[in-house]
Amino acid sequence: MRKYNYICGLGIACLLFISCKKDFLDRPPLTSYVDADGQFWRNEDDIRMFATDFYDNYFNGYNTSFTADYAPVRGYTFNDDVTGKNVQSNFESSVPSSRGSSSENAAWMSQYAGPTWDFAWVRKANIFIDRLDKNAKPNITDEAYKHWTAVARFFRGYEYSRLVSVFGDVPYFGRVVNESELDTLYKDRDPRGYVMDKVYDDFQYVLANMRENDGTQNLNKYIAAAFISRLMLFEGTYEHYHGLDADRAKKYLDLAVQAADLVMNSNKYSFGSDFKSLFSSESLAGNPEVILYRAYDAALQITHCIGSYSNGTETVGVDGNLVLAKSFIMNDGNVWENSSNPDAADFSIANLAKTRDPRFEATFIDKPNGSATTLLYEDKFASRDAITYIGKTYPPEWGSNTNTSDAPVIRLGEVVLNWIEAKAVLAQDFGETPVTQDDLDRSINAIRNRPLDAAAIAKGVQKTAPLELSALPDDPQRDADVPQLIWEIRRERRMEFAFENFRLLDLKRWKKLNYMDFSTNADYFLGPWINLPVEYPSALTSAAATKGNVKVKKSDGTIVTYNGTNASDMVGFWMVDNAKNRNSFTDQNYLSPVGQAQINDYKDKGYTLTQTVGWQ
Amino acid sequence: MTIKWTLPFLLGMFFCLASFAQSRTVTGNVSTEDNTPLPGVTVNVKGTDHTVITDPSGNFSISANTGQTLVFSYVGYNSKESVIGTSNSVSVSLNRNNANRLQDVVVVGYGTQKRGDVTGAISTVDVSKTLVARPIADVGRGLQGAVSGLNVIIPSGEVGSDPILKIRGAMTSFQGSSTPLILLDNVEIPSIQVVNPNEIASISVLKDAAAASIYGAKASNGVILITTKKGSGTSKPMVTYSGNLSWQNVWKDLKMGELNALKYTVDAAERVGNFGISGAFYYVDRDSYNKAVQWQKLYGGSIGPDDPTVFGRDWYVQGSAHNQKMGMRTYNPYDYMIKEWAPTQQHDITVGQTLGKTSFNLGLGYLDQSGMIKPAKKDDFTRYNASLRVSTEVNKHITIRGGAMYSRRDKEYPYATSSTTADPWLYLYRWGPIYPFGNDQNGNPIRSPVSEFAAANTASLLQNYMNVNLGTTLNFTNNWNLNFDYTYSTQDETWKRPGTRFTAADSWSAPLARVDEEGNPVYVDSTGNVVSSTAPGAMPAYDLNNHTYTSLGGNPDHIIRSATDFASSTINAYTTYNWKLTENHQFKFILGVNRVAAATEWQYQRVNQLTDIINPQFNFAVGTPPIVDGDKTWESQLGYFGRINYAFKDKYLIEGNLRRDGSSKFPSNLWWRWYPSVSAGWIVSNEKFLQKQNVVNFFKIRGSWGSIGDQTVPNTLYLPLMPSGLSNWIGGNGARSPYVGTPPAITHDISWQDIETKNLGVDLGVFENKMTVTFDLYQRNTNNMIVPLEGIPLTYGTGAPKGNFGSLRTNGWELTIEFNHRFENGIGVNFMGNISDSKTFIEEYGTSTGVNSNYNGKNIGEIWGYRTDRLYQMSDFDLGSDGKPQLITLTADDVPAKYVGKKAYKLKPGKNGEKPVYQVFLQNSSNFFFGPGDVKFKDVNGDGVIDNGSALLSDHGDLEVIGNSNPRYNYGFRLGANYKGFDISVFFQGVGSRQVWGNGFLAIPGDQSSDGASPATFVDDYWTPDNTNAFYPAAYNNGGSNDANNMHVQDRYLLNMAYIRLKNLTVGYSLPQNLLKKVGVNSLRVYGALENFITWDHLRGLPIDPEYIDGYSMWNSDNYNLSRTGMGTPAFKSASVGIQLNF
Repeated sequence: MRKYNYICGLGIACLLFISCKKDFLDRPPLTSYVDADGQFWRNEDDIRMFATDFYDNYFNGYNTSFTADYAPVRGYTFNDDVTGKNVQSNFESSVPSSRGSSSENAAWMSQYAGPTWDFAWVRKANIFIDRLDKNAKPNITDEAYKHWTAVARFFRGYEYSRLVSVFGDVPYFGRVVNESELDTLYKDRDPRGYVMDKVYDDFQYVLANMRENDGTQNLNKYIAAAFISRLMLFEGTYEHYHGLDADRAKKYLDLAVQAADLVMNSNKYSFGSDFKSLFSSESLAGNPEVILYRAYDAALQITHCIGSYSNGTETVGVDGNLVLAKSFIMNDGNVWENSSNPDAADFSIANLAKTRDPRFEATFIDKPNGSATTLLYEDKFASRDAITYIGKTYPPEWGSNTNTSDAPVIRLGEVVLNWIEAKAVLAQDFGETPVTQDDLDRSINAIRNRPLDAAAIAKGVQKTAPLELSALPDDPQRDADVPQLIWEIRRERRMEFAFENFRLLDLKRWKKLNYMDFSTNADYFLGPWINLPVEYPSALTSAAATKGNVKVKKSDGTIVTYNGTNASDMVGFWMVDNAKNRNSFTDQNYLSPVGQAQINDYKDKGYTLTQTVGWQ
Repeated sequence: MTIKWTLPFLLGMFFCLASFAQSRTVTGNVSTEDNTPLPGVTVNVKGTDHTVITDPSGNFSISANTGQTLVFSYVGYNSKESVIGTSNSVSVSLNRNNANRLQDVVVVGYGTQKRGDVTGAISTVDVSKTLVARPIADVGRGLQGAVSGLNVIIPSGEVGSDPILKIRGAMTSFQGSSTPLILLDNVEIPSIQVVNPNEIASISVLKDAAAASIYGAKASNGVILITTKKGSGTSKPMVTYSGNLSWQNVWKDLKMGELNALKYTVDAAERVGNFGISGAFYYVDRDSYNKAVQWQKLYGGSIGPDDPTVFGRDWYVQGSAHNQKMGMRTYNPYDYMIKEWAPTQQHDITVGQTLGKTSFNLGLGYLDQSGMIKPAKKDDFTRYNASLRVSTEVNKHITIRGGAMYSRRDKEYPYATSSTTADPWLYLYRWGPIYPFGNDQNGNPIRSPVSEFAAANTASLLQNYMNVNLGTTLNFTNNWNLNFDYTYSTQDETWKRPGTRFTAADSWSAPLARVDEEGNPVYVDSTGNVVSSTAPGAMPAYDLNNHTYTSLGGNPDHIIRSATDFASSTINAYTTYNWKLTENHQFKFILGVNRVAAATEWQYQRVNQLTDIINPQFNFAVGTPPIVDGDKTWESQLGYFGRINYAFKDKYLIEGNLRRDGSSKFPSNLWWRWYPSVSAGWIVSNEKFLQKQNVVNFFKIRGSWGSIGDQTVPNTLYLPLMPSGLSNWIGGNGARSPYVGTPPAITHDISWQDIETKNLGVDLGVFENKMTVTFDLYQRNTNNMIVPLEGIPLTYGTGAPKGNFGSLRTNGWELTIEFNHRFENGIGVNFMGNISDSKTFIEEYGTSTGVNSNYNGKNIGEIWGYRTDRLYQMSDFDLGSDGKPQLITLTADDVPAKYVGKKAYKLKPGKNGEKPVYQVFLQNSSNFFFGPGDVKFKDVNGDGVIDNGSALLSDHGDLEVIGNSNPRYNYGFRLGANYKGFDISVFFQGVGSRQVWGNGFLAIPGDQSSDGASPATFVDDYWTPDNTNAFYPAAYNNGGSNDANNMHVQDRYLLNMAYIRLKNLTVGYSLPQNLLKKVGVNSLRVYGALENFITWDHLRGLPIDPEYIDGYSMWNSDNYNLSRTGMGTPAFKSASVGIQLNF
C-alpha cells in the first residue's frame, strides 16, 4: 500500500502544481495606458501628456519630414500670389463621390486650407473635457481643472473653426457621442452661427481660465489669445463680407480685438527681430516677436523640408507672380504708380529688392532663378547662408527633409494685423471708434519699423516709411468696394504673410475669391522684368529654341519668343511657360461640398445630410 | 472551474486500481524477408496503447509483460504478432504485400489511435518519404504538397525564412491570425524551423474541430502535431548519420529586357510627345537607343560582366549642364546579383541506446545554407540542433523521462538598408538595363544594388531556442495511466544590424569632367581611348563621382541591436483509462489539464553615425541621442479537457471531447469558455454484408462537429488602450514631449469568435488495402466574427467599434489516394496523391455593396476586373487626312452625358453601323487616349460604353469577377518504386488555380517606363506598327499605377499563378546488407536528389515565382518592397547528393 500512496501523492502533487495560482489568467497589459479610472487621469502629468498629442496637429509650423499640410510654401500653394506652368490648379467643380475620414491622421485639403469632413479631433477634445470632468477633477486642484478644461476647449474651438471655414454649416457635438446614439450622430448640420457661438463660448472660457504661464513652449493664455484673434477675425469678417449675420460679425470681431489686446498689452512680445530671422533661424527661443514656435532638431529626428523648398534649387512648381511683386509697397510708403522714385516702374528683381518694402528682399532671391517658374524664387524660409549652396551640395539644414530651422507658429506681427483689421472693420461698418494714427503706429508701423539685418542694409534695403492716416496711398488698383485704409491693411497682410498660411483664407473671408480668376489680369502669367542674355543666359538653349517655350513680354504687350537667333531681343517680363488660367468657378467654391456617399448613407438610414450651399 | 471537479474524479479512479502486473523491457529488430532493416514499424503491445516505432535500423525497445503479445505493423507489409516469452529479445521479419495501413498508429491529441478507428479529420505524414533525405531546410518546406488541406507557401528564396502554413482555406477571420498551432511533443514552438527534420517520428495534422478542440483556443486554425523519436536503440549503441550536400540555383532563367527595354522607354516617351530624354539618373532617347543597338553589335559578344564600364565606349554625356548620362551598354542584373550553384550542407547524427531500463537518444544536426546574393560578404543560414532524451523505468509503475532540445539559428545577410519597403532587390528591378554594374574604368565599384550589397556589413539574426522537458508516466494498472509533462522553453533572438556608409562611383548624381594633371580636360573617342581634343569624334571625358554618398547618420549609417526574449512554461497532465466492458463495448477516457504561461520582452537600441564603418560597434557610433525602445507582453492559458471514445463491435465509433478553456487575453468575465465536439464513425466493412467480397477491405464513414473559440485577436479590441510615446513636438526642455493618444472606441460586450467545423469523411481500403482513399467534405463557419459595427457615420470621429457582428464560411474538400504494391519479382511501387480545395465566403459583414468592399456573399480573394477583347488596330480608327487617328471631343451622340466633353480618338462604327464603344472612363492620364495598340475592352453589359457603373453589386458596369488570388486545387503526388536496394521517387506539387493582379515593374507593362526596368517578356512582345499581333499593348508610361489606362484590372494581363513543380526527384541505392555487415555497418544508402527542379507555369517567362505573395517577406509581411510583385530574393532549385549510414 505504500507504493499506492506514493503514486497517489505524486498524482495529486502534479495537479496541485497546476492549479495553485488563482490569478493565473490575470495578465493585463503591462506597458499601455488604459483609459479607466485610477489607471490614467491621475494627475497633471497624465493630463499634460494627453494635451501634448494636440500640439503637432494645431501648431504645425513647418510640419515634419516631407509632409506639408498646413506648412508654408509647400502646403499653401493654392492662391493668387503664385503661378505655375500650364493650367493653374483648378477649383473643385463637382461633388466628390466620397469625402471625409474618421482618422486623426487624415490629410488636409489644400484647396480649402483646412480639414476634410472629419470629427476625430472633435471627439478627442470632447473626450478630454469628459475625462477631466469625470476622472481627473478629484485628483487635481480647481485651478488646474479650469486650466486644462480651457486647454481642451481651446482645441475644440480651434477644430470647429477649421471645419466651419471649410464646410460652413457642420453638425456640432459638444460631448462624446456614443455609438448607439444614432439620432445624434446622424443629425444634420447645425447653422454656422450656432456652431461659432459655441466656439465663441469656448474661447471666452479659455481667456478667463487658462494659465498665463504653463511652462516654456506650452499652451498658455497669450498663445491661445493670439490664435483666437486669428480665428475670430476670420469668422467676424466672413460673416460680415458674406452678409450672413451682422450681430455675430460684430461679436466675433470684438473678441478678436479683445484677444489681440490681451497679447499686445501683456508687454511680453515686441518687434525686435529682423524679418528674415523669423523664418530661417536655427532657434527661435528668445525671439521677442514669436509667441509660440515649433522647434526642430536633427538629433531628435524632428526635421522638416520647408527650408529646402526655399533653397534656390528645389522647385515648388508655383512661384510668386508679377501681381504679387507689384503689390509690395515702395519703401517711400507709396504705391509704385504714385511713387516719386524714378525706378518705381523698373520691375527687374534687383531693383524690386532695393526699392520695395524690406520684406520683398527678405522673401525673394534678388536675382532670376530658373528653379522658379516665374524666375522670382521665394527664399523667405531659407537663411542667407542657405542660398549660397546653389550649384553645390546642400548641408542637411537646407536640403531634403532634414531641415532644422525653427518655425514661428504664431507671432506678434500677425496679432497686430488681426487687431488693426478688426478695429478698422468695426470702425468702418459697425460705427465703432475710428482707427487712430496711434493704432497704426502700434500695428502696421511697428512692423515696418522692424530692424533690418546687416546683409539687407549692405544691399541698400531701407525701412518703409510709416503709414500715415492723413496720407493713405491712393492705389489705382484698389477695388472700389474697399476703403483706402482697409485696402492698405490687406496689402500689409499680403506682404507680411506671403507664402504663409493666410492668402486663400483671407480671400475667402473678404469675399475676394475672384482674384483667383487669372483672366482678370495678364500680370498673373508673368514674372519680373528680365534681360535674359545678361541675367539668365542659360535659359537660351538650342532645345528652348526648338521648343519655342522661352518668351518675354514687352511693355507694349508684344511677345518675343526665343528662336535661337534673337537673344538680344529677349528683354521683357518673363512669361511663365504656357501658363493658362484655371477653370471658371463660382461662389460655391467658398465652401467644400460633402461627399455623395455620405449624403446617400444618411438617406439610407432615414436621416438627412444637407449638401453645402451652392453644391446641391 | 478549477481543480474542484478534476480532483474528485481522479481520486475516484484511484480506487479502481487493479493489481499491478510485472513488466520488463523487450528489445528487438524488425527486418524484411531479405534482412533489410525496417524503420518506422509500429510495435504495439496488443490491447494497450503502448506503442513504439522502430528506428532507422529496425531496432526497437518496449516494455511489456511476459505473455503479452507484440503486434508489428508497417505499411505495405503484413502485420505480425509475437508472444513474449522468457527472452528479452524479439526479432521478426515482415512479409511484403497484403498490407493494412489501417492498423497503423496515428498520433492524435493527447494519445494515439489506430488509423482505422479515427473519426476526426486527421492527416498523417509519411515522414520517411516526405522529410528524410531531402535537401530542405525545414519541415514546413518538406510538408508542401504532402498533406491534403495543409497549404504551404514559400513566398521567397530568402534563406532562414518561415514558410506560410495554413490549414483549410484562406482565412478564419478578419481579426487575428490564421496560422495553425504547431506542437512539438505537445508544446507550442515559435517556428517550425526549430525542429530538425531528422528527429521527427510522426506528424499529424488535425484539421477539424473534433480533432483539434482538445487543444483549446489556440487550436482554432488547426494543429500540426509533431512527435520526436524516442527510445530507439538496443544495448548496443546505434549510430545513424545522414549527410547531404546540395547546390542551389535560381529556379529558372530570369530574363529582364535589355535593348528592347530601352526601345520601350523611348517609344512610351515619344508616344506622348516627349522626344527628349527619359530616365532618372541615366537617360535614353532615340539617338542613344540607336547607339545602344550599335554597341550590342560591336561589343555584345566581347564585353562581359567583368569588364569595367568605360566612358566614351559604354556611355556618354549630353545636355547644356553636362549632367545627362546616356547609356549604350546594357547590363544583365543577374550576372552580378545571383550566386549560382550556391552550396549547402546538412549533417545529422543520432545515437541511441537502451541500457537496462534506461534508454536515451542523442541527436545532433547541422545545416549550413547559402543564400542567393552573390556580392554579399556573407549570406547564409546556419542551424545547429541538439537534443537529448532520456527515459527510465523506475519501477513497473513509474517511468520518468527528461529531455532537452536546443536549436540555434543564425541568418547572416548583407545589411544594406534599414528599409523594408525599398531594399536593393527593389532597385534591381527599378532601373533600366543601361544602369551599370561592376566597376568603372578607374577600378571603383559603381553605385548599384550590387555595390551596396557588396559594401554592406553583415547583419545577424540569431535565434536560440531551448526547451527542457521533465515528465513521468504513472501506470496505475495496465489500462490506466497518468502522464505528466512539464516543459520550459525559451527563445532569445538577437538581431544585429551594423550599417555602413557607401562609397562608390555615384551613378545617381551628375558626372564630373575628367581632367589631366594640369587640370586640362581629357578627351576620348568612341572607344574610350584618350585622344587629342581635335581628333575626329573627340569628346570631353567624364567620370562618375566616386565619393561617400551616404550622408552622416543617413540610412544605413547606424548600428542597431534588438533583443527579444521569450519564455514559456507548459504543463500537460492527463490520465487515460481503457475500459473494455465486454468484447463489444470498449471505452477510453481521457481527463487532463493543460496550462501555458508565456512572456515576451524586447528591446531595441540604435545609434547613428558610425566612426568606424569597417568594424561597426556601439562604441564607434556617436549620433545622439541613441534610440531605445522596448516592450513586454505576457499571456496565459489554462484548460481542462476530457474525452470519451466508445467503440461498439469495432463497427461503431463515437468520440466526444469537451474542453473548458481560459485565456488571459480577455477581460475576466470572458476568460472561460466551453468547447464541445463530437465525432462518430461507422466501419461499414465490418458489417456482414460487406464481408463476402474481397475488393473493399475497409470502408468507414465518419462525421464530426465541433466548436473552438479564437483567442488570437488583439486585446485592444477589449480594452481602451491609449497609445503613448514621444510626440513630434519638442518641448521647452529641448526634448520630444511624451504624449498619450486617444483611446479607441470599443464595445464592452465583445466576445470570442467561434470557429465551428462540420466534417464528413470516407476512408476506403481496396485490393487487400493496397489502395486507400480518404475523402473529406467540410464546412467551417466563423460565427460571431469580429467586424466593425455597421452604419456608424464619420461624425463618430473614430473607427466604428468592433463587435461580434459578422460571420464567415469556408467550404472545402480533400482527397488523398495511396497505393502500395510489390510485385512478385520484388519490385515495389507506391503512389500518394492528394488534392484539396476550399472557398471562403463572407456571410455577414455589413451592408456595403461595393464590389471591392467586404460585402455579404463575397468570395474572399476575388478579383473584379474588365474583360479584354483585344488590342485596337489602326483599322479601328477613323483616320484623319494625315493618316493618323483624330482626337475628337465626344458629344451626347457618342457617349452618356457624364462623359460628354471628354476627348478620344475617333473610332469607326461597327461593320453594321453600330455605334463605337468609347473607353474614356478608363483614360486616367491627361496624355493618354486609347489608340492603335491599346487595349480594347469588352462592353460586357452592352451599354455602349466601358465603365465600372457605380462599382456596386447592383451596378458594376463592365466589371466582372475575373479571378481569385487564393490558391485553389492545391495538390501533390508522389510516385515511388524500389527494387533490390534501388529506389526512386518523384514528387510533384502544384496549385491548380490562382490569379493575381500584379503591381510594379515585373507585372505591369510600362509600369514606370521612364525608370526603365522591364521583363523581357513585356518588351519583346508589345504592340508597335510593325508588331500588330503583339500580346502586350503599345508602349505607355503608366506612372507607377497598376490600375489605369491600358492596365486596368483585366483578364488578359491577369497573372495566372497556377503551377506544377517537380518538387523532388530522388534516386537512391541501399548497399546490400551482407556486404555491410562485414564492416560493421547495418545499412548504407546513397542518393541523389533534385529539389524544386522544374516548374511549369503560365507566366509567359516573367521573372515572378508563382508562389510569390505581393508585399510579403520575412522582413515585412504586408508592404515589403512597396508590395511590388516579384521583387525579392528569387526562389531557388537545388541538386544534391547524400548518404544515410547506420552502424
